[in-house]
Parts: sequence; structure tokens; C-alpha cells
Amino acid sequence: MKHPWRWIIGLLVLGFLILLAILPGGEEMEFEVAGEFERHVLIELPTIGPFDMSITKTVAYLFVAVAVIVVFTIVVARSLRMKPGRFQYAMEAMYELARDGIVGSVMKSGKATWFPFIGAVFFFILASNLIGLLPLPFGEHYQPAFYAATANLNVTLMLALCTFVFTHYAGIRKNGAFHYVKAWAPSGAPPVLKQVIWFIHVVSEIFRLISLSVRLFANMVAGHAILAVFFAMALIFQSYLVGLALQGASVLIYMFELFVAFIQAFIFAILSAVYIGGALDQDH
Amino acid sequence: MDAEAAKELGKLLGAGLSMGLGAVGPGVGLGIMIGKALESIARQPEVAGDVRTNMFIGIGVTEAVALYAFVVALILIFVA
Repeated sequence: MKHPWRWIIGLLVLGFLILLAILPGGEEMEFEVAGEFERHVLIELPTIGPFDMSITKTVAYLFVAVAVIVVFTIVVARSLRMKPGRFQYAMEAMYELARDGIVGSVMKSGKATWFPFIGAVFFFILASNLIGLLPLPFGEHYQPAFYAATANLNVTLMLALCTFVFTHYAGIRKNGAFHYVKAWAPSGAPPVLKQVIWFIHVVSEIFRLISLSVRLFANMVAGHAILAVFFAMALIFQSYLVGLALQGASVLIYMFELFVAFIQAFIFAILSAVYIGGALDQDH
Repeated sequence: MDAEAAKELGKLLGAGLSMGLGAVGPGVGLGIMIGKALESIARQPEVAGDVRTNMFIGIGVTEAVALYAFVVALILIFVA
């Protein structure tokens, strides 16, 4: 035999796996996947009118996202150099992506006016998505929790509402209210068909709001739920072998979630740019 | 089977079916779209940037359909 050591290593690995399979696993534990998405109140605050001002898990994650963006941008802006370091280069690349890749490639007019909003949305969603992949001590009784602010429909609906309001504000300010609303139906269409098309457009405007918010929400919930199910499976099987396999699989899914976190921020920003650009430059 | 168990069965069955069947259409659509985008990039590499941007817009819109199914499944399991 040419490589006897290969056989020895292979047998050792096999023996190790068998040992893992027959070893008794950890103790039995209860784990509820849906519990990861509950909003625990961290600091109780009074209710003002219809608004409960308590600091929940989601609010804490939002604060952390804002703090991360502020600290990162201040650190970069304080130490700007002509020959950028690694950190400055990364931030410049993200800024360029937001300015040229999203706003520059989609919008025709009003780029300078609407870049601040779209760039802010992009960086905010990116920061909240990425922070959602870190365990932070915001769970019940300040236990480490695995949650993302964007895995909450209230947050994403608010972001989508910002886009919705700004879209129509931009369109009305540029084209005038009457012309803006009139251009929702093509001017050449016959009378009854024109009203039907106009009505369909109104419905689609409302569905944009739903799809924009639900897309981000469902993506983040689905990713976190898959990771939580993988963790829960280790508790169900109670075997070191299954635990090892699940560990490898969850690392792969975690890497995919990093990609999804970035792609979802990109898609939200680019769709916002498409909607605002469409309201500014109406094609009929 | 009593009514309570039948209700539970219907919920879980509906959730699984809605997610499974709801993923078929968007899966086919995404495959066709990304395949076509890659084809056009291979044919004309100079427009790769534009094609990629529009592809991502399309991905976002198509994928939303599957995610509606996911939300329906969640509603069936946890809310209904």
C-alpha cells in the first residue's frame, strides 16, 4: 500500500464519529423557536396616548444599529486620508455602492435630493440586519438573544411607509398634484379602460407598501427561524454526532444569512430608488 | 378525531402546503430570470452592471411572492 497513514487517519476519524454517535448527548432542554421572536420589555416606561414607550428588545436593537452607524461614520470621517486604510476603503466602497450603484444607476433626476434618504435607508437596514446576526444581551432577563430589528413587521412597515410617503411627496412636488395623479393612467387609452388602469395603479401603489415591508420582514424572520431550528434540532436529537453535523450546516446557513442581510438592504434601497425615480420622471 | 385535533391538523397541513406550493412558482421564475440575466451578461459583458441591477430588482419582486406564502404559513401556525 502506498499511503498507509491515510487509512490510519480514516479509521481514526471513523472511530471518532462512532464514539460521538454512541456517547449520550447533553441533558434534555425545552426550546421554543417562536419564543425567539417575542418582544420582551427591557425598561418599563409609561404609555403616552396610544403609544407604549417601553424599551423592548426591538427598540434596543434599533438603538444599537443607530449607534453603530454613527460611531463608524464618525470614526471614518475623523481620520480621512488620501491613501485609505482598509476600514476607510470598506466604508468608501459601501458609500459608492449606495451613490453610484443604487441611486446613480436607477434615478434619472433628483439624484442629489434623494440620495440622503436612500443612502440612509440602505445603511440603516444593512446595519440592523448584520447586528441581528450577533447575540446581544437583550433577551428576557438580559440573557443573550438572537434577534434582528428588521425581523419585526412594525420596523419594516415604518421604513416602507417612509418610502411610500416620500415617493408621493417627490412626485407631487415635481409634477404638481393633479398632473401626478393623472399620469397614473396612459393618456392615449380609451375612456373606460383608462379608469380601470388608473384604479389598478392605485392598488399596485398600496401593494408596493406591503411587498416592500413584508419582503424584508419575512427574509429576516425566515433566516433567523432556520438558524433557530438548527439549534433546536441539536436539543431534540441529543447526540454529539448530529450536533457536529448541525454545527457545520449552521455555519453554512450563517454565511448565507450574511449574504441575505446585504442583498435585502440592497433590494430595499434600490426599490425605493426605483419608486421615487418613477414618481419624479413619469413616462406618460 | 375531535374538533380540536382536526383544527390543529388543518392549520399545520395548510401551513406546510402553502409554503411548499407557494415556493414552486417563484423558484421557477427566479431560475428563468437569473439564467437569462447570466446569458445576456455572457453575450454582452459590457452591460453586466445594468443587467445585474435590473436582475436584483426582479429578484426582489419575484421573491416577494414566496415570502407572502411564508407569512401565510406563519399566520396559520401562530395566529389563526
